[in-house]
Amino acid sequence: MSDRAIEAQGTDVEAAIEAGLQKLGLERHDVIVEVVDEGRKGILGLGSKEAMVRLTPLTAGEPRRDPARATKAAPPPGPRPSTTSATVTDEVDAGAPADAPATPTPVAPVVVEDEVDEELVSAVTEIVSNLLEKMGLGEATVRADLSEPDDNSGRRMTVLRVEGENLSALIGPHGETLNDFQYIARLMAGHALRRRADFIVDVDGYRSQRKESLSSLARRMAAKAVERGSAVTLEPMSSYDRRIIHMALRDRDDVYTSSVGEGSNRRVRVYLKGEE
Amino acid sequence: MKELVEYIAKSLVDNPESVRVNEVEGSSMVVLELTVDDSDMGRVIGKGGRVVNAMRTLVDVAGGRRGKRVTLEIID
Repeated sequence: MSDRAIEAQGTDVEAAIEAGLQKLGLERHDVIVEVVDEGRKGILGLGSKEAMVRLTPLTAGEPRRDPARATKAAPPPGPRPSTTSATVTDEVDAGAPADAPATPTPVAPVVVEDEVDEELVSAVTEIVSNLLEKMGLGEATVRADLSEPDDNSGRRMTVLRVEGENLSALIGPHGETLNDFQYIARLMAGHALRRRADFIVDVDGYRSQRKESLSSLARRMAAKAVERGSAVTLEPMSSYDRRIIHMALRDRDDVYTSSVGEGSNRRVRVYLKGEE
Repeated sequence: MKELVEYIAKSLVDNPESVRVNEVEGSSMVVLELTVDDSDMGRVIGKGGRVVNAMRTLVDVAGGRRGKRVTLEIID
């Protein structure tokens, strides 16, 4: 559960969101909104009940209070703080992508060890560095790395970690700018290599932070569905974000998830198992 | 800004030698006009405009660094 989430009230849901945003000093796209109580209008003010919302900030540039990640701002040269203990990654220095293939250190036994795809790493490091430079973000550093094992397949993917000051513009609302950046970089790499180029671009740990926020949101929504005894629908999200929600709840005995709606209105719905 | 669009476009098309970017810079605005070979139009536009829209996002970030609004158009 994110300790930065706050709750706010208002005469209706919109007013409650507005009040919450004012409290946080953030914009609408910087938070995940969760409707705790829709409230009731009542008749002539009688029987009315205030709406309540919970807002979870998503801004990457903000200081994080989670102690495990508190050393984030100045990455020490040694092993990086990571979210799981099973992360011994084969780090490939951006400046020297052609090093001998680092022998992957064995980690958890279930992990499928993927080889470092050196051709990909070298092409992608160059593309990402060039893009950043031409975008006026040349002072950022780029480092290739392997992701933590995927929750589903155990596969590890190439991750390009971009780090530096003032990179929130590169992340954008809901990470949309970062997704566009990654999309373009993948297309360019795919075209250069004449094959599919699969990799992730992360900025200052944004993706793992978002994964944590969305996973805790998923658990709260599951608890809410159970408490209410009926399905709960989340806000519209990108496919990337919806997948995080699905993964967070896939092993539950009490709920299951499914996406509903089309296009930019597609959202995850959390259902109770054993109903409908 | 111009180099950014040129770099991306040349990396996506089959005929990089036909890529041209014309940059018109005003005090608060920059207009970028991208020209590519006819056969490469689909590559820089993308399904439903996805590629050109992603490029617009990136030039916006670049423009923001210089305090300018950027418009990117593909000229056919």
